[in-house]
Amino acid sequence: MSLAFSLSGIGKRYPHFALQDVSLDLPEGQVMGLVGVNGAGKTTLLRLLTGLAAPDAGEVVVLGHRLPQGQVAARREIGFASEDMRLYRSQTLRWHMDLVAAIYPGWREDYAAELVRRFDLRPQQVLGGCSHGQRVKALLLLCLARRPRLLLLDEPTTGLDPVARLEVLEALAEVLRDERRSVLFSSHNTHDVEQLADAIAFVHEGRLVACADRHAFLERWRRVLCQGALPAGLDAWPEVAVARANGSLVELKVRDWHPGLPARLAAQGLTVQRDDPMSLEDIFVSAVRAGAVA
Amino acid sequence: MNLNIPVIRLLVAKDWHLFRKQLAVYVLAGLVALCFLGLGKPWAFYVGSLTLIIVLVSAACFSISTSLVVERKEQTLAFVMSLPVSPADFTVAKLAGNLLTFLVPFLVLLAGTLGLVLFTPLPDGLFVYALLIFAWLLFAFAVSWAVAMSVESEGWATFGMIGSMVLINPYIMALAQVPAISDRVREDAVVWTAPAVAILATLAALALAIIAATTWHHARKPAFY
Repeated sequence: MSLAFSLSGIGKRYPHFALQDVSLDLPEGQVMGLVGVNGAGKTTLLRLLTGLAAPDAGEVVVLGHRLPQGQVAARREIGFASEDMRLYRSQTLRWHMDLVAAIYPGWREDYAAELVRRFDLRPQQVLGGCSHGQRVKALLLLCLARRPRLLLLDEPTTGLDPVARLEVLEALAEVLRDERRSVLFSSHNTHDVEQLADAIAFVHEGRLVACADRHAFLERWRRVLCQGALPAGLDAWPEVAVARANGSLVELKVRDWHPGLPARLAAQGLTVQRDDPMSLEDIFVSAVRAGAVA
Repeated sequence: MNLNIPVIRLLVAKDWHLFRKQLAVYVLAGLVALCFLGLGKPWAFYVGSLTLIIVLVSAACFSISTSLVVERKEQTLAFVMSLPVSPADFTVAKLAGNLLTFLVPFLVLLAGTLGLVLFTPLPDGLFVYALLIFAWLLFAFAVSWAVAMSVESEGWATFGMIGSMVLINPYIMALAQVPAISDRVREDAVVWTAPAVAILATLAALALAIIAATTWHHARKPAFY
């Protein structure tokens, strides 16, 4: 299985933030969602993957190119759009398309025209007169029409109103279904990630807290309600991320649910009343609060 | 150092395309200033020379601020850096773009000024003096560019531009204190004196050294951040 990218033991230190010992791989053709709160390290990770930043420790290999040395070659095959990236307001989308087409030999005009229709954009319109949603779609068009092997999107839906956000997500989902390209996109919105990603990575305070297949996450994590008194040391169990008591009711957030768990809890005096799947948001919050690798 | 020349050329063309209309306005304003200078009246000479300096300072500040400071502020720099360019390509593209957008109005107005001095009744002694004024503006441009390339802060970049450009005032006053320069201004001949040549050579060398050192420093960075 070839990898779109591989991060091994990455460290990057800034005056008020440090990314520590991050190892993460993305197999080619997969869509991975990178989830974390603001300041968790998502943008730093994406900058490392584009070669815009150099790691202080560890190794970054993207599409077979070691970065930052091979950043120019890698960026020829990467489409990168970030929330803090803007196009020239005084120029039209057509002007931007011509600029990008002149730089990337893989640019496909017919595909660009299809994206213009799908995103409902007007190429001759000056971007200063476009809404934020239209500018985000224009940026995505410029990334996608160059046919990148790896698409890196840093918070593509941040700052969009709900309608524009839904439009961008729908358009993105449709585009991603068309192709077998690798995608890593970051978001602090778990709903966006749930819609698009095959695999999910949680980042918090510069560390990779958890990384797994989306279905595996949803299968393994459970909210378990038990009757009884909260036994001492339960929250130290490797399966248990969070344990809370409310009267005789005990709520557990379990990171590794298995059929043998109710019997083990019964041995501690707890009767399992129900176990429910958790939303990705709840899993993320629990994983971050637990602070350990899930 | 392997430079991605085709992309550098496109980025320079992009800067030229973005700023060409405003630069045409600066050249036009400079030509109006030269018209005043050519009238040969004391008041017109004062208005013309003052306007010419203001136009040149504005052109230098415009070139640097729109290409570096405003691009950073409006976050279009992130778009440029996402293209297949290394820090060396980016630095060279910015240097070439800035030099092009500044030097075109600078050289047009320099040629116009020198031509005006030589081919109108204005004293030819102004030839060297005009060169000294233009040399300071080139030096101030180099300092401003180096500061804008090296700092993230808009405030410091603006301070660098205003500071170096405003210093033209004490510089002109200092030139007036050098008899070998000030006494020759009213003569009807181009006279190269040792102090004038030394100042010209020093300013040109300093401008080149500042630009070269800044380019070398930024081009050696392995990554942008």
